[in-house]
Amino acid sequence: MMEDQEEKGNAENGIGRQKQVKDEYLLQFLDSLDGYLTLLDSLSSTLSQGWLELASARHAMGASRINGALLDLKVHAAATSLKVSEQDVDSMESQPCFTLCKWASSDNGERSSGEEKSLSPQLRHRNNSQLSGIISSPVSFSHFFNFFLSCEEEKVSTRTGTPLILVDQQRQKSLSVFGVLVSPKLRSAQLSFERALETLVEIANLHTTMLSMFEQVHKELENTNG
Amino acid sequence: MYGFEAMTFNIHGGYLEAIVRGYRAGLLTAADYNNLCQCETLDDIKMHLSATEYGPYLQNEPSPLHTTTIVEKCTLKLVDEYKHMLCQATEPLSTFLEYITYGHMIDNVVLIVTGTLHERDVQELLEKCHPLGMFDSIATLAVAQNMRELYRLVLVDTPLAPYFSECITSEDLDDMNIEIMRNTLYKAYLEDFYKFCQKLGGATAEIMSDLLAFEADRRAVNITINSIGTELTRDDRRKLYSNFGLLYPYGHEELAVCEDIDQVRGVMEKYPPYQSIFSKLSYGESQMLDKAFYEEEVKRLCLAFEQQFHYGVFFAYMRLREQEIRNLMWISECVAQNQKSRVHDSVVFIF
Repeated sequence: MMEDQEEKGNAENGIGRQKQVKDEYLLQFLDSLDGYLTLLDSLSSTLSQGWLELASARHAMGASRINGALLDLKVHAAATSLKVSEQDVDSMESQPCFTLCKWASSDNGERSSGEEKSLSPQLRHRNNSQLSGIISSPVSFSHFFNFFLSCEEEKVSTRTGTPLILVDQQRQKSLSVFGVLVSPKLRSAQLSFERALETLVEIANLHTTMLSMFEQVHKELENTNG
Repeated sequence: MYGFEAMTFNIHGGYLEAIVRGYRAGLLTAADYNNLCQCETLDDIKMHLSATEYGPYLQNEPSPLHTTTIVEKCTLKLVDEYKHMLCQATEPLSTFLEYITYGHMIDNVVLIVTGTLHERDVQELLEKCHPLGMFDSIATLAVAQNMRELYRLVLVDTPLAPYFSECITSEDLDDMNIEIMRNTLYKAYLEDFYKFCQKLGGATAEIMSDLLAFEADRRAVNITINSIGTELTRDDRRKLYSNFGLLYPYGHEELAVCEDIDQVRGVMEKYPPYQSIFSKLSYGESQMLDKAFYEEEVKRLCLAFEQQFHYGVFFAYMRLREQEIRNLMWISECVAQNQKSRVHDSVVFIF
């Protein structure tokens, strides 16, 4: 009888622990879902701000100075790139992890900043129709994403200078397609889109975490039902 | 002699002054702007504009409309009116009217040269050019590799030729050189226009001197603010300022060394006409500066219509229409982006 009671107690403890683990996974899933929705909202408002600032810059500088026809079609390294790596969640599975490498472009063989890493090949291709539509209206974020992320497979060498100065130089270089003396409104628009890009990468990472948590919760539910 | 224009002006300029005053009466009113600011879609804007003088230019545009389409069609109306005035004008009014378009010509030249540097198709660039700044050989600009070739192959036969003497070099065209070329050309154009108006004398000289001096001063402020934090040196910045205006020469010396917006404010507040502009801005802020300058410009342009028998009304009308088109562009963008709360950030009411 004592043994039966002990076994019953152990079983109850086991069920309790399982329930605790299930609750933890569920909480983590709900947390990541909440973060995901918050970031989506933040992305939407940052993009709205960016597009309005771009329209404001166009209003100040004139349509002939800010339009899609001025965007550079010459082949050159992307100023910003995205690294996709595999991150081990536990011994059984791994999930993709996205890292944004901002303003780490190369020019004439010289590297401006950044760690040594290899970029994934051909994330996106630019083409005329996408570029000509970029400035004229906020058609879709993927078009502007293309503009920042089109790249070729290459390696970036170690840094050569103070990051902040180089980042400012890269920002100015990126804006120089519209001229050297541009309105502060255009620079604000650039910063807004930069923030939006960072938010987008955070969303991608959170999305993979959320899916991973969802699978864990699903597994636990199946184990319980089984 | 100033004061006797009433006796002779109407012989050659009377008809066109009446025409331009008629055109001025067609500018959008406060009621029009109230209606436009309440539009929910671009089709609503088109519907409201159909009751104005822009109606015939927009009526055949299919939905869905685009903000650039609205701006293009409204600009076509301005171009038609300008061409009507130009073909009726005699000297020296015809030369005066041509001077008004040289700024757009400079913008078009820079657009073609910059776009070619970025390996864009010439036809695509030509479609983006301002119609008031077109000239016959503009497409040939794409073949030039440096400023000397630009001048020799194309610009020597255009009205911009005299402005090139200060910026002819054999250096290859890059973003910085193009920017310096743009501003040097514009500086030379403004100075030439100013001298031309001074030669005309009378009320034209007095009114246009004020308007062009304001333009030169505003350019100096914009160049200063836009060059903060860039590679443009103080000397290069100083060379881009025009050699006339209220700020010339002492204000220019101070602006050349400014490193932030507050230093610019400190310089400008010493000049009473610009104190009121900068008093509208809070410290460290430059976002509303453009609107403040536009409002001051509109005030001065409207005052030009208070006097008769001078050419300033033509310049004032063209600038007021351009301001109106900027207003329509901003309202359209706010409506298209669902940001109607921001519509009053940049709309400048005329009259």
